[in-house]
This record gives sequence, C-alpha cells and structure tokens, in this order.
Amino acid sequence: MNHLLELESLVIGYKKQIYPEINATVNKGEVIALIGPNGIGKSTLLKSICGIQKFRKGSVLVMNKKLSEYREGELASVTAYLPSQSPRTKHLSLFDMVSTGCYRRSDWLGRISNREKQLVVSTLSKVGLSELSHRDSSQLSDGEFQRAAIARSLVQESSLILMDEPTAFLDIENKIIVSRLLKEISSEGKSIIFSTHDLQHASKICSKFWIMGYQGFIEGTPEVLKEKRAFEKIFKDSSIIFDDRLFTFV
Amino acid sequence: MNLKKGNNIFKYLAVISFLLLFSLLDLSLGSVSIPLREIIASLTGGEAPDYVKAIIIEKRVPELITALLAGIALSVCGLQMQTLFRNPLADPYVLGISSGSGLGVSLLIMGYSSFGLSLSGTLLTNLGVAAAAWIGAAGVTIVILLVAQRLRENVTLLVFGIMLGSALSAVITLLQYLSSSSSLKSYVMWTMGSLTGLDNNELWIMATLILSGIVISVLNIKDLNIMLMGDNYAKSLGINLVNVRKRILISATLLAGAVTAFCGPIGFIGIAVPHISRMIFKNSDHKVLMPATALTGATTMVFADTLSQLPGQLLTLPVNTVSALIGVPVIILIIFKNRNI
Repeated sequence: MNHLLELESLVIGYKKQIYPEINATVNKGEVIALIGPNGIGKSTLLKSICGIQKFRKGSVLVMNKKLSEYREGELASVTAYLPSQSPRTKHLSLFDMVSTGCYRRSDWLGRISNREKQLVVSTLSKVGLSELSHRDSSQLSDGEFQRAAIARSLVQESSLILMDEPTAFLDIENKIIVSRLLKEISSEGKSIIFSTHDLQHASKICSKFWIMGYQGFIEGTPEVLKEKRAFEKIFKDSSIIFDDRLFTFV
Repeated sequence: MNLKKGNNIFKYLAVISFLLLFSLLDLSLGSVSIPLREIIASLTGGEAPDYVKAIIIEKRVPELITALLAGIALSVCGLQMQTLFRNPLADPYVLGISSGSGLGVSLLIMGYSSFGLSLSGTLLTNLGVAAAAWIGAAGVTIVILLVAQRLRENVTLLVFGIMLGSALSAVITLLQYLSSSSSLKSYVMWTMGSLTGLDNNELWIMATLILSGIVISVLNIKDLNIMLMGDNYAKSLGINLVNVRKRILISATLLAGAVTAFCGPIGFIGIAVPHISRMIFKNSDHKVLMPATALTGATTMVFADTLSQLPGQLLTLPVNTVSALIGVPVIILIIFKNRNI
C-alpha cells in the first residue's frame, strides 16, 4: 500500500542519546497524536520527518520517496511544520505573517500572486481570523496566534502537517477551537501529526496514537492501545496509573 | 494596532522631504555659510562667485554624497544584522568587522612605529588607509564565514563574532600602547570618523562597493522576512540557512567594510536607524522596511553631518560624536520599550 509517510527502522537523536527504533505509517487524512514524556524525542522526530534535523539510522519516506532524494526546498511542498513556539514580530500584519507560508510560490522579492492572496484570505476565514487580517500579529492572543500559525501551515498547501504541541499554551476554549480545526483540516484530506501531553483532548480528534516511551515505540488506535495497556508503559514511574475511563493519567 | 499599507507612500515622501531639506542645509552650513540661491546656482551652472562654486562642487557635494552612501550602507547593514540575529541591539559591527578594519588601519598607522620603524608617506593616503581597513574587514569576514558554515545556531555565531571583535580590539590596544604619540593621534582621529576629504576616485570605489552590497541585500529580502519567524520555520520552508547567512555576511562586509574603510568606524547609525524606520513605518516587512531604512539612514547621516557643521568657523565636530548623540537616545528608548524585532 502506498502511504503518505513511512518510517522504516528510524533511529533519531543526538550522539550520546539514542531513542528506540521507530516503524510507523501515515495515510491520507489521518490525524496522529504523538505522545511521550518530556525529552523522549517527540520534537526531534517531527523535525526529522520534515528534514530540519538529521536522523541517525533508518529511512523516512514521504510519498514513497526518501528524504535524501528530495531537492532543496522540494520537501516543503509536501510537509509543513509548525514549531512549538514561533517568535512574534512587531509591526508584521497577520496577513503578511500567514503569507510567508506561500514562500515557495512567491517571486524573488517574496511577493505573492492574486491567487495566493485569495488563498490567504480564505484560510484566515477558515481559522476564524479574517477580521484581524491587518492586525499587528504580535498583538494577537495566544489562541489567535496559534490559529494564525496553523493558517500559515495551511497556505503552504502541503499534504502532511507536523505540529509541535499546538495546544500547549491554550485555554480550554482555544483548545477546542484548534481541535475542531484539526478535524476539519483532516476531513479535507490532509494528514496531521501533532505532539501533545493532553491524552483526553488528543483521543477525541486523533485516528491513531504514536507512543514514544522508554520501552519503545508503539502505534495504534486509542482503543487498541488501551487494550494493550500501552499507555501504562510510557513513564518510568510505575506509580503513575492510566485511567481507562477518564483517558488520562492519575 | 491596524497595519494598513496605504500611507507608506506618504511616509516615504515625508522622509525624502526631510532628506532634501537636510541636504540643502548640509550644503549651506560650514566654515563659510552659503545662501540657497548660490547653492542652486553652483549646482546648475548659474551665476555664483568662483570660490562658492569651488566650495560646493569640490568639497560639500562630495561630503554630502559620502554621507548619503554611509547612511544607506550602515542602516541597511544594521537592519540585516538585527533580523539575522533577531536582536534589537545588533549593529553592522557586531561580528567584528570594524575591529578587523581597525586592526588593518592600526597595523598600517601604528604597526611600524611600534617596532621602531618609520613608514613612507605614500601608504598613509586615504586610499592606503582604506585598503588596510578593507583588508582587515575582509579577513574578519572570511573567518566568520568559515565558522558560520559549521554552526547550527545564529546566536553562537553572534557570540563568536563578539569574542573575535574583543580579541582584535585587544591587539589594537597593544599596538596603541607601543606606538608613538603621533601615530596614536592619527589612529584616534581615524576612529572618530570623517565624511570629508574623499576624491572622485575614492567616492566611485566606495559607491561601487556599497551598490554591490545593496544589490545583495535586496536579494536577501525574501529570506529575511522568513527569518523573522525563527530558524526552524525557515528551515522547514526549505531555506538553506547557511547560504542565507553567507549572503548576509558578504553584503554586510561590502556595506560596513566600505564605510569603515573610507570614513572610519561610524557608530550608532547602523543600530538606531532600523528602529527609527520601524517607528515611522510601523512595518517589519523588509520589502517596505529596507527601502525605508535606506532613506532614513541617508537622512539621519546627512542630519548628523549638518549638526557637525553647526559650530561654523570654529571647528567641525567628529561625526561619531554627533551620531552617538542621535543614536544613544534611540537605543535607550529600545531598552525601555523592550522593542522586539
């Protein structure tokens, strides 16, 4: 079967720290929640998939093509990356911030065509920020700024979006808004991998979990993983118990 | 705050008006005050006393062009450095370019006397000093480029640049300690900066170097806008940060190196002007901000030169003194307002 993303015996990490071998796949329209303790390598994995960071062994295939076979910049038309924290720039309008997602289709000076401008306008409307288009992006609330960052990754028009803790600094209301947005994006055929520490919230929107634990890497649907008692193997501390009913740790 | 783009043209025109006003004042003020009518006559080939024409054409116009070029070069260079390092206090000299130039010039002026030798006069011309400064700046840039290729983070490069600058300054201090008092005075005069005394050939060389630097800077605009969003995001868009860094460093050397070579290390313009432009234009998009910074830089430098002429017949103030008086309040304002890039 042709997968959008395939990780084969992938080993990520730095010289002294090696993480477990990863074998996993992502298909079109799937939403993957990547969970695991701090420092296990969730961000490193996301960066390795979109080519920002080198990995140690194995291979990453995006649309059946190895990362090394992509020309410089070509991968950006297939994968989009949303960092856990984007710096805020004063005096940069929301429209201009989101337009940077069209980087690869802009001219030598970074100007975008009317078609791209329309795309930015419709995407801002999709994330519910069309009225703030001319607002200074540095003055947006955390929730608005995160939706703007999602809009920026959407206008990149890539098939796979990688998000590093997209709901980490958000209140409940904004978490729900972002969750709905992720569902909507996936229903349009885009695939999403997002890292999170919020299992409850993730279980409501993801089709699969990727668990990075100290005992290895496991992938599966929330139900299957629950049956396998996979969540209980995430942490070193055995006193942390996974509550099936609440779908969270207690 | 709403950032609508409609009034940018009005702002550009306002800055250009100030530039014209200060340019005329700059041409008018000096040891001899020249009225506007005679300035225009001298420039257009009309009726004016010969000595006035000589002062305007041979002294003040070259000085004005030098100020325009220096202002544009230092400001555009400072803007790129602030974006590259996402640091509001970065300036054209943050990577040690001026210290490199300083070492080149100090070796030329003081190196010989430090070792008890005398230097022939031919090397101590403007062009000789400029060449020494240029070689020093280029040497530093080559070292920085080699290091930049191996570093992942821009902030590490920033720290390396500051350390390299400090090390070179230490060598310069040693040379100052060992040199004769006349050589030391020549060197100190160079560090004070000067926009005067360039002949046509020197102006052409300076203009060519600066124009090349500006062309590269304009080609950097697209990537500079993305770099505002952070290194990881830029990399995810397929931007080769090492190449972008190299292009910025090469343009910085051409711009700041040319100014330092011909005018000495003029401070504060490169750090303050990008902030003044951001305050006026309220736009961080480099497509708007870079031309705005170039215009504001030219205006500020000409204004500084005009102020340096104010004592009239008594003396002309060193340009670094005046640029500091303009730049320091802006820098203090940045610190108080904790202004982000």
